[in-house]
Amino acid sequence: MTEASYPQCRIVPLRMLKPETAERLLNSIVKVCGIRRMLINGPRLPATVPYGPARGKPNPHTGRRIIKVGDTEVELHVQVGQVVLEVEDKGVIEELRRACDEFFTEIPYTLQEGIFMKTKPSLVDYAKYGPDADESVIGLTDPGKKGGLVILQGLK
Amino acid sequence: MAYTPQYGPGTSTVAENRRKQMNPDNKLEKVRDVTDEDVVLILGHRAPGAAYPTAHPPLAEAGEPDCPIRKIVTPTEGAKAGDRVRYIQFADSMFNAPSQPYQRTYSYSYRFRGIDPGTLSGRQIVECRERDLEAYSKFLLETEMFDPARCSVRGATVHGHSLRLAEDGMMFDMLQRCLLTGDGNVKYVKNQIGEPLDREVNVGKPMDEGWLKAHSTIFHSLVGVPYRDDQEYVEYVQRIHSLRTKYGFMPKE
Repeated sequence: MTEASYPQCRIVPLRMLKPETAERLLNSIVKVCGIRRMLINGPRLPATVPYGPARGKPNPHTGRRIIKVGDTEVELHVQVGQVVLEVEDKGVIEELRRACDEFFTEIPYTLQEGIFMKTKPSLVDYAKYGPDADESVIGLTDPGKKGGLVILQGLK
Repeated sequence: MAYTPQYGPGTSTVAENRRKQMNPDNKLEKVRDVTDEDVVLILGHRAPGAAYPTAHPPLAEAGEPDCPIRKIVTPTEGAKAGDRVRYIQFADSMFNAPSQPYQRTYSYSYRFRGIDPGTLSGRQIVECRERDLEAYSKFLLETEMFDPARCSVRGATVHGHSLRLAEDGMMFDMLQRCLLTGDGNVKYVKNQIGEPLDREVNVGKPMDEGWLKAHSTIFHSLVGVPYRDDQEYVEYVQRIHSLRTKYGFMPKE
């Protein structure tokens, strides 16, 4: 569960990012000290065709691949549309803004401050994690999904 | 005096483009070549070169009943041969795609025969006899009603029309049926329902922003012509709204 005292922000580029660009963006962001939690958001890229006559057949997609953030490998399940961040204090957001200003030279972007992650465990969270859930997990992953979150171990 | 259809109101380029697409007397510009075999591959209803499966015997052999309506209405080629009914479905991006679901249905109704369109917010499906469908699909893919990046043939899993575009300007497709290749052409690697194709199908290069804006049929306040700039259109829609609302009270103008 998120402490109300931790500020949050989100980075929304005008275009949805390719995995290569997302990898470069995330690597420039994680260098900023003071990020507590990070959420990559966007439309899903399923491994199999979800609907229609071809349902269940494999769905090869160039956007669904493993990227390396810092020293950790992350499997992308979505086309990156926005990055939501929870940071230690407001000063970190300004550092993130500087990093984004340097990064986004071709595509415009917006950096918004607000509350973008779940602030309380929902009924589904309770059903999945029970009453003593790890608060840092709430709001980061979809409780219905099998895959968990990734902990970034270090930086290049 | 003979009735001359006006097709739609408006003074903006969007309104003009809508009228152009709807008016069957206006010949739409052909901007790319897609072969018959390519169309069959994208549709995915039958193997290229295979005979058309039939739903009933040809009408000439069927011995039709004596019916005045059948004497008035000439059957289409597909109906004559007894073809199955099959479909094509388009998803069109809100970022200045050259056609849009409602616009497609209006245009098809004016231009094509023997069709059954279905219109939704982000996609438009049309059903008809198979050989008619292939002819119509070829027309729709080759003319200015299609753009390889902003329009897409999607039989299922259509999500993407209202999303931001990808970096390369392509509309989001969960199944990635088509790819923008290194030579600048968009190629279909899967058919409309997401089954891989034996070979890539080239549908040409995406049109540039200037062309798309000039051929757009959607109002968009951020990337195109804002709706409120077309005063005539707004007045027309307000009049229809007003008359519909007052309908129960016997409106008189």
